[in-house]
Amino acid sequence: MQITQSKNQSIDIIALQGKLDAGTAPALEQKLMAMIDQGSKQLVINLEGLQYISSAGLRVLLMTAKKMKGASGKLALCGLQENVKEIFDLAGFTTIFSIYASASEASGALLATNK
Amino acid sequence: MNHDAPLQLKNDLAELDNVGRFVEEMGKRHHLPLAVVRAVGLSLDEIVTNVITHGYDDHDRHDIQIRLTVQGDEVVTEVEDDGRPFNPLELPDADTTSSLEDRPVGGLGIHLVKCLMDHVEYRRTEGRNLLITRKKMTA
Repeated sequence: MQITQSKNQSIDIIALQGKLDAGTAPALEQKLMAMIDQGSKQLVINLEGLQYISSAGLRVLLMTAKKMKGASGKLALCGLQENVKEIFDLAGFTTIFSIYASASEASGALLATNK
Repeated sequence: MNHDAPLQLKNDLAELDNVGRFVEEMGKRHHLPLAVVRAVGLSLDEIVTNVITHGYDDHDRHDIQIRLTVQGDEVVTEVEDDGRPFNPLELPDADTTSSLEDRPVGGLGIHLVKCLMDHVEYRRTEGRNLLITRKKMTA
């Protein structure tokens, strides 16, 4: 799985490409935990390129949301493909994450909370 | 050619790609609907990941066997391993409704298996765990 990092004003954007499973989740966990430890307070995780997610991936996203909340930061997800959204629904994740259609919508929402 | 030959795996998470490929290949051979291929693929991923992560008290190499067959309008999978006795169905139900702060981090794997499959069954025989799932192809 590919992890690409970029920035939009004050917002950190992590884009995922490929499959997020028990084999690839540890690298993502490491990356996201480090970003929050280093002070990232506004994070968008772009899942447009994510073709597959298993519970290992859900777990990393949940840990990230909890850590962000603890650090008084904000996390948004965007671009969920239909099959990924189905898994989110089964896991009851759609109620505890801020989910948007695109990275620009997600960034806009996070920036709006600055005002 | 034996269309229903089992897949043998080592207890290594790097084998998960082989699980996905195996299910896709079986999907093509048996003309399975995409939704069924995806559901079975994810279910097997979760079962195998559990076996590899929690099934052994040692660091030795172990073999895991996956069988996938089509029986009438059902896809039947069997995952067999020689790990310690472990029935994932005995775990408490996953929490999918608590708030973010209260939501536990674990337990989602077997929950997804139970959601995606129509029937899940565990057996322990002759020192081996066997987890059987059934998925109907018709709604």
